[in-house]
Amino acid sequence: MIELYHIWKQYQPPRWALSDITFTVKRGDFFFITGPSGSGKTTLLKMILREIYPTQGQIIVDGKNVVRIHDHKIYKLRRIIGSVFQDFRLLFHKKVFENVAIVLRVIGISRKEIRRRVFNALRVVNLHHKMWEYPSQLSYGEQQRLAIARAVVNNPKILLADEPTGNLDPELAFEIITLFKEINKQGATVVICTHDRELIRHFGEKILFLYKGKLIRKEAL
Amino acid sequence: MMIIFFLEKNLPEKQRSLVEEKLRQSSLIEEVQFISPEQALEQFQNNFPELRRIIENLRVNPLPSSFEATISEENFSSVETLAFIQEMREMNGIEDIQFNRDWVEKMQSLSRLAQAVGFFLGGILVLASFFIISNVIKLNVFARHEEIEILRLVGATNTFIRIPFLMEGMILGILGGLVSLLLIFFLIKFFPLYLGVSLGVFSELINFRYLSLSQIIMLIATGAFIGFSGSLSSLARFLKV
Repeated sequence: MIELYHIWKQYQPPRWALSDITFTVKRGDFFFITGPSGSGKTTLLKMILREIYPTQGQIIVDGKNVVRIHDHKIYKLRRIIGSVFQDFRLLFHKKVFENVAIVLRVIGISRKEIRRRVFNALRVVNLHHKMWEYPSQLSYGEQQRLAIARAVVNNPKILLADEPTGNLDPELAFEIITLFKEINKQGATVVICTHDRELIRHFGEKILFLYKGKLIRKEAL
Repeated sequence: MMIIFFLEKNLPEKQRSLVEEKLRQSSLIEEVQFISPEQALEQFQNNFPELRRIIENLRVNPLPSSFEATISEENFSSVETLAFIQEMREMNGIEDIQFNRDWVEKMQSLSRLAQAVGFFLGGILVLASFFIISNVIKLNVFARHEEIEILRLVGATNTFIRIPFLMEGMILGILGGLVSLLLIFFLIKFFPLYLGVSLGVFSELINFRYLSLSQIIMLIATGAFIGFSGSLSSLARFLKV
C-alpha cells in the first residue's frame, strides 16, 4: 500500500533529516513509526502525503509514484488518505460540524449525506453533542478527537496519524488508539507516528524505529 | 441636423409651394416643416424671454417665414448636400439659408475629443479597479492561508479553492458597477439643476440622459469581468496550489 525506496531528505546542508529509508506498509497493516523527537517521523508522513518532496528516492502509494504525480492531480492521492496532524490544523473560525464536513464538501457529496456522515463520524469520537460549537470551545483532547473525526469521515484507504495521543492522559490515549484499531479492522491501512512506548507495547504489530533520520530497526510482532 | 430656409417677405403662395415641393423631392431631406412668421415669433419669445419686451415694442413682426428641413448626420457634410444648398440659394423666393456647417463640424470634433478623453479616463479607471480588486484578493488569500492549506491537504481541487475568490472578485466588480450607476443617476438628476441658468444656450447642446438598459447591463457585466480577471491574476500569482 505504501512503499518507500531509499528516501533521503535534506532541509539544510549538511545535515540529513532522513537517510536511506526503505520500508513497505502492506494493505490492512496497523503500523507504528517511533523514535525520539527530531528522528524524522513527521517528515516521513509529510512525504507520503506529498506535502514535501524527498531529496532522493521514490514513494509509491496505492500503486502511484507520489513524487511524480502532477500538482493538479495530487488531490486524488489526498482523497484516499485521512490525516491527523500533530498540530490538528483545525479551522477555528468554523464550527465542529464544518471542520469535518469540509472533507466531504471538496468531493461534492450531497448535503443530506454530509449531515449523516459527519454526525456518524462525530458520534464515533463522542463529539456529536458538540457539533455546533467552535473548536476553541473544546478541550485539547476534544480537539484531537475532532481532528480524528475529520480524518476518518471519508472512509480513507490510508490513515496517517502524527502523534495522535501527544499530551493526552493515558486513558484517553488508549481510547484513541483503540478507535484507530477499529478503523483498521474495517479495512483501512493505519500508520501512526508516536514516541509513546506504552502504546506501542500494547498495540504494536509492525514497528519501525528511527533515530536521527536513520532506520535502525524493523519489527513485526 | 437642421437646415433653415428663410423665405422672402410676402412670397406668393405658389412660389412657396414650389420651394416646399423642391425640398420634399430631395432624397437628402428627411422631414420638412413650415414655420410661419407667427410661429417664429412665438418660438423666439419662448427661447429669449428677456427680449420679449423689445419685440412687443416693434408692433410689427420682423421675422420671416421659413422651412425647417431635417437632414441625417451622415448627409450633413456631403458634397451632394452642399450642391443642393447652392441650388436652393439660387432659387426664387429664398432669402437666406441657415446651414452653419463649420459650426456643426467644430462641435462634432469637440464631441469626438470629449469622447476620446472619456475613453482615456475610463481606461485608467478600469485599470485602477483591476489592481484594487487584485490586491483585495491577494490580501484575502494571505488572510485565509491556513484554510487554503487545510483544503489542499484534504484533497480539494484547485478550482474548488479558487471559486470563492473568483466569486468575491466578481461580486466586488458588480457592486462597483451598481455604485457607479447610482452616481450616474444622481449626476444626471441633480447636475443640470445645479448648473441651472448658467448653462444658457448650451443647455440645448449638452444632453443629460440616463443610460439605456443595454448600457446598464454592459456596465455591470464589465464590472463583473474586471473583478473576475483581477482576482484571476491575483490567484495566479499568489495562490500556488
